[in-house]
Amino acid sequence: MDTTSIGGCAPEAAICARGITRDFEAGQTTIRVLHGIDTDIRSGELTYVVGESGSGKTTLISIMCGILYPTEGEVKVFGTDIYKLTDTELVNFRLKNIGFIFQQYNLIPSIDAAANAAVPLIAQGVPLAEARERAKVLLDKLNIGNQADKLPRQLSGGQQQRVAIARALVHEPRLVVCDEPTAALDARSGRRVMDLLREVAVAPDRACIIVTHDNRIFDLADRIIVLEDGRITHDGTEMPDDH
Amino acid sequence: MLRNLSFARQILPVGALIGVAIAVWLILVGLPDRSTAAPAEQPPKAVGKLANGERVAGAGVVEPASEVIDIGSALSGLVTDVLVRPGDRVAKGQVLFLVDARAARASLDQANAAIGEARAAIAEASTAQKTAREQLALYRSLADPAAVSRSEVIRAEGEEAAATSRLGSARARLAAAQSAAAAARTEIERLTVRAPISGEILAVNVHPGEFVATQGGGGSNSPFIQMGETNPLHVRVDIDENEIGRVALGQPAVISPRGAAELHVNATFVRAEPQVVPKRSLTNSAAERVDVRVLQLIYALPPSEAFRVGQQIDAFIPAKAGAPAKTEG
Amino acid sequence: MLWIAIRMLTGDSQKFYGLLFGIAFSTLLITQQMTIFVNLVERGASGVYNAPEAEVWVMDPVSRTTDVSYAMPSTALDKVRSVPGVEWAVPHLRAQANVRTADGDLEGVAVIGVDDATLIGLPKRMATGDKNVLFAPDTVVIDDVGVTRLFSNGASPLGERLELNDQRAVIRGIADAIPSFTSTVVLYTRYSNALNFVPGTRNRLSFVLVGISPGQTAEGVAARIEKETGLKAETRKEFARAGVDFIIQNTGIPTNFGITVFLGFVVGVAIVGLTFSLFLRDNIKQFGALKAIGVTNSRIVQMVGVQAGLVGMIGYSLGVVGTVAFIKGFGSNPFFKGFYIPWQIPLISLAAVVVILAITGFIAIRSVLRTEPAAVFR
Repeated sequence: MDTTSIGGCAPEAAICARGITRDFEAGQTTIRVLHGIDTDIRSGELTYVVGESGSGKTTLISIMCGILYPTEGEVKVFGTDIYKLTDTELVNFRLKNIGFIFQQYNLIPSIDAAANAAVPLIAQGVPLAEARERAKVLLDKLNIGNQADKLPRQLSGGQQQRVAIARALVHEPRLVVCDEPTAALDARSGRRVMDLLREVAVAPDRACIIVTHDNRIFDLADRIIVLEDGRITHDGTEMPDDH
Repeated sequence: MLRNLSFARQILPVGALIGVAIAVWLILVGLPDRSTAAPAEQPPKAVGKLANGERVAGAGVVEPASEVIDIGSALSGLVTDVLVRPGDRVAKGQVLFLVDARAARASLDQANAAIGEARAAIAEASTAQKTAREQLALYRSLADPAAVSRSEVIRAEGEEAAATSRLGSARARLAAAQSAAAAARTEIERLTVRAPISGEILAVNVHPGEFVATQGGGGSNSPFIQMGETNPLHVRVDIDENEIGRVALGQPAVISPRGAAELHVNATFVRAEPQVVPKRSLTNSAAERVDVRVLQLIYALPPSEAFRVGQQIDAFIPAKAGAPAKTEG
Repeated sequence: MLWIAIRMLTGDSQKFYGLLFGIAFSTLLITQQMTIFVNLVERGASGVYNAPEAEVWVMDPVSRTTDVSYAMPSTALDKVRSVPGVEWAVPHLRAQANVRTADGDLEGVAVIGVDDATLIGLPKRMATGDKNVLFAPDTVVIDDVGVTRLFSNGASPLGERLELNDQRAVIRGIADAIPSFTSTVVLYTRYSNALNFVPGTRNRLSFVLVGISPGQTAEGVAARIEKETGLKAETRKEFARAGVDFIIQNTGIPTNFGITVFLGFVVGVAIVGLTFSLFLRDNIKQFGALKAIGVTNSRIVQMVGVQAGLVGMIGYSLGVVGTVAFIKGFGSNPFFKGFYIPWQIPLISLAAVVVILAITGFIAIRSVLRTEPAAVFR
């Protein structure tokens, strides 16, 4: 694998990260969280980023989806060098191309499920009624179409997560980033969510990254990247045996 | 969900906007009217070229051209008859009222009786004198001295002299009685009060049966009759002493009666009083003290129904061209 | 997005109504206190406003206000009339007197002598009766606040006899007047009557009220009167201002009301600032998520701005409505008689609300803007 130049990116790579380092200031000392990560994420695959707490997986995923600037290195998302964009261009790039599923869903409590799912469309400027309609279609697909008019607090945790998934997919992004989707769930529910994700999120022209350290679902991955202390220690279709 | 009415998002904001609109309307409607208002009645004001020109203002009263004459009585006594009423025009010498003249008439009768008595005495004395003289002439014409005794002649001469002196005495009495009658007539005339000039009766304060004292007309008593020449009327305008230098004497003044300020009458200059006098205040209170002196100017009013004697007026008089404005306070 | 912002705001009803209360309370406090203050000090000019015809007031040079005056000789009237530009001038007497009521009580009153012929100097309207009743002998017209003071038992004052300086005075009308600062009973009568009602002093003429000729300015005529007569002449506006200034200089009212208004402002900043900050902090995760999804900081500022604007609009409206309701509700109270809300005051409180929201919004929004979108992954 070419690890020296961004020019070595395969054209079909969804994300092409080269030489990513990231330092955090902690008082007088500087902690290096990532040490020159080089990796590609490909479309059509369900890619896991796995690591212990503090391994830098959250930092890596933040940098790869354009919400955290790397200290050094370059990231190309679908061919766009996102950290050469201006702030506003970067925000709009995210809005257009990336869907997020947060661990705590972060739904807006005072608007109903359909509106929550429609937030990216609304932020893109789609008229409210149309955005809701499109979100409802997706909610139907996620089997919670009958809950579309309910507020998040009236929904169960699983239903809230489906709303969050709908929000991540409603604007048909080419990259979906999912943070610990199964952490709060029992094994059965976790697998059901992963099945769902695989069903709706994985598409030939869409990359899907899941950040997790839940070993119950490792077998569902197309590819697993293991991070330890800011370095990639494993990159393959199966988990190494020591995990 | 969208069609449901939300209190916080729809009713409250719309209600607040309606409320604030009503509040704004109430505030704007409730703003006090601080504009100045035109006077309901016209106050006195200078008109014509005086409106924005140099002028002097003064206040004054209307008076007859002759000023007000307080008619008095020369003698005291009871009023027997009042022959005029207020508003009457009287000619000079016309009788105004009569004071009881019975005593004077009695004196006149007495004097007339004395005249008659004196005249009778004169007649008697003349007759006696005539008889005595005839007898004496007869005695004197006798050539014979012995025809009458000497004593007869002397007696006749004595009678003639006595008759002559009686005649003189009677004549003197006649003269005395005549002058007494004249005095009585004069007194009767003095008890008849007459108009000193022709003019208008302004006030009558006596009635038949009242006692008039000779000091009437002065002092604190009201005058018996007030009259004056009211054709034309004059106005007496008080000008503050500080303004005297500015007044254009001889110019006509614009006069407005109090309470009818829309009336503007041009009055012609008559004279300026030579003396500057203390201003008479409107209150006429006995405790009033004055420190303001005024020049009084007299103006003649044209014939008008609007003015009455004693009425207060406001006057505007042209100022001398170029007279500097006084800055004294 | 602004729709979402408003939903976010109203969804948290506790804080929403807390914010509304803070803004409404501040607005109410500021508007209402300033209104009372302005109206109270304007009472110092009530004498000027109660003589609506006068455009210029002429007085002795030492006179300061309608109630602090030194009398002039009566010929001052003629001097003023002599000045070009003066269309008309009438005498005006203002004096203090003691009145003995039918019950034998003694009450200090202000006697105002208006022009004999034209009644210039009377308030514009009569509450009861006609202005012409003043032409009847010994007539006085009482002001409506005086009625409540002098006839507190509710009896009609019309026809009541008063004793003023050993003179008989009969009340034959009630004037609709703006009360004075001290709410003194005011008796209006004709100038010649007033001379009898007020114990005699040498000079009695307190003021000369002047109307100006068409085409003249009040300022110009006042200056000319001062130059030509040596008296002090003030335009209606100046003299009203002088009355207000007199109250301001001689009472502690500005300090008191200033403190209250300041407190209203501080309370507004405190309540609104705390609540707003709490509200935004509660929603900081949502804001972070929105930022990650792809909402720019300027949109976030707009959202917070809309939230602040909605709170401000509703709260301000409630405060203004409350003030208007307060003033209207107490309008029948003699103390509040003639009170009005100057149009500037709601604008001032609006500016205060804007400042409050700007300050608190600025403080509160900083935490939102500082939030790293990456924080949503922690």
